[in-house]
Amino acid sequence: MSDNKLLGPDEAEFAKPLFVPIKRRSFFMYAGATAGATALLLAGCDDDDDDTDTPSGTVSLGSGDVGVLNYAYALEQLEAAFYAQVIATPYTGITTEERTALTAIARHEAIHRDFFKAAITAAAPTQIIGGLTPDFSKVTFTDRNSVLMTAKTFEDLGVAAYNGAGSLIKTNDYLLIAGKIVSVEARHAAYIRDLLSNGSFADSTVVNAQGLDQALTVSQVLAAAQPFIKDKINGDNVGK
Amino acid sequence: MNFLHLLARLATLDTEHTALTQAPRRAALSRLGQAGTALLPALLAGLATPAQAGQKEVRTRLDALKLILKLENLQNAFYSRALGLLPGGPANPATFFGSAATRDAIQTIQSQQQKHAALYGQLITNAGSALDASPNYDFTGSRNGTQPAVYPDVYTNPDTFLKVAQLLKDASVQTYKGQAAFLQSDNYLLETTVRAHSTEARHAAHIRTLRRQRGATVKSWVSATDTAITTAGSPQHAVYTTETNINQYVSLSGLVTRVPFDSTLPINVGTPALSASALLAKVAEAFDEPIESVTAESILQVFTY
Repeated sequence: MSDNKLLGPDEAEFAKPLFVPIKRRSFFMYAGATAGATALLLAGCDDDDDDTDTPSGTVSLGSGDVGVLNYAYALEQLEAAFYAQVIATPYTGITTEERTALTAIARHEAIHRDFFKAAITAAAPTQIIGGLTPDFSKVTFTDRNSVLMTAKTFEDLGVAAYNGAGSLIKTNDYLLIAGKIVSVEARHAAYIRDLLSNGSFADSTVVNAQGLDQALTVSQVLAAAQPFIKDKINGDNVGK
Repeated sequence: MNFLHLLARLATLDTEHTALTQAPRRAALSRLGQAGTALLPALLAGLATPAQAGQKEVRTRLDALKLILKLENLQNAFYSRALGLLPGGPANPATFFGSAATRDAIQTIQSQQQKHAALYGQLITNAGSALDASPNYDFTGSRNGTQPAVYPDVYTNPDTFLKVAQLLKDASVQTYKGQAAFLQSDNYLLETTVRAHSTEARHAAHIRTLRRQRGATVKSWVSATDTAITTAGSPQHAVYTTETNINQYVSLSGLVTRVPFDSTLPINVGTPALSASALLAKVAEAFDEPIESVTAESILQVFTY
């Protein structure tokens, strides 16, 4: 196995900040899951590892529809990890409504992440990317503005990513899944934007003169997301 | 590698193919054994679930564009009347919304609605097709007084107006989602449509936020905790009955696979842990659902004569 990222032991616990104690029972559940995943990955090793052309330390999202799924999985991992941290260490002055809404968003993102993990595991178990390591060093989690601006960036980016990936998807069911998720992301984006500046839910920074929301290419999205992820992501073949 | 394929097939809980059920009994038993007993209930439940029907509707790209245009024209009229840009709205559009911020937001929505309508009209005429004649609208739902009004105070009570707005927005998001599948063969039409779709979702969230600020129990996303705004049996009710869905499917190489959301998946939604039912409610929230064309048409019909 040339890419030891895939064997990251903290994959299932990715969203939880390290200092939050996990229940003993949960630990064993995840430990079991990880052992299973490890066995699965070892079983997937063969002699001609086709990741060899990728520089060490780089996570390749792969190609075709699986590449698109991994792309979505990577972005959902990032969002889920971010909101998990927001909930674990709420910013100063958070209101009850904000805490409730951000908790709901955190759960939606965790569900999206786990959904993709399960879907890719079912559809292409040898091609799923591992748990990514986020880098939130530029986010001040105690500061409302810092947190909400980052949330806005992630939500708008997520919407633009799904919108740009739609035409890369070949399988009808995946297009529908992307559609089911992107509108929830857009609802999040609108909510977060209104928290920062009421009425900015669909302003001209995201919706163009034709009334169309942003769509970004894989490389544009990854360039924007990369500063928040320690692993180097390669999405050159997504959808191809 | 065989082990991997085995696991992959095992994860395929609900497929259109019968490979799993036709496999020799001994092989099936060994697969169950390898998966561990925790998976067993899910597997059985999965097998008991009828295979998901494929695409139920067959529509042309033109059909899809025309339905979207119909929806956008209707919404454009709905907001234009509210703002006094067209007759038939509030007696005093300038003060109807109560606050400048709300009026500004409705203006933003109306303006983008109008652009969508213009864009889809152009897409249809550019393709060499004629536009359908515009219907008449009655947003009270009385079909020009021929039946009891469903929303008699739609333009006299901002709460009713916003309730209808929410219904139309949620329905719009679902309609776009349903029609996108019929546009998949044309990358330009598809991308245009998914982008208009997420704009609609932004609008939906804002309308819902406005309602919550006015005291309604409603999230910015569709939630089981929202107070119902439709009644069972009405065409409008279909907008929210579809949203309770917790089954999501993916496919690869022709296998339609249900992704299970239950205790066998390590769904980690933070602490405190949620009960199984609360978790599934969150699953329903996390995915917006499509509606079929016929359902969308029946909702539009409530406001059309």
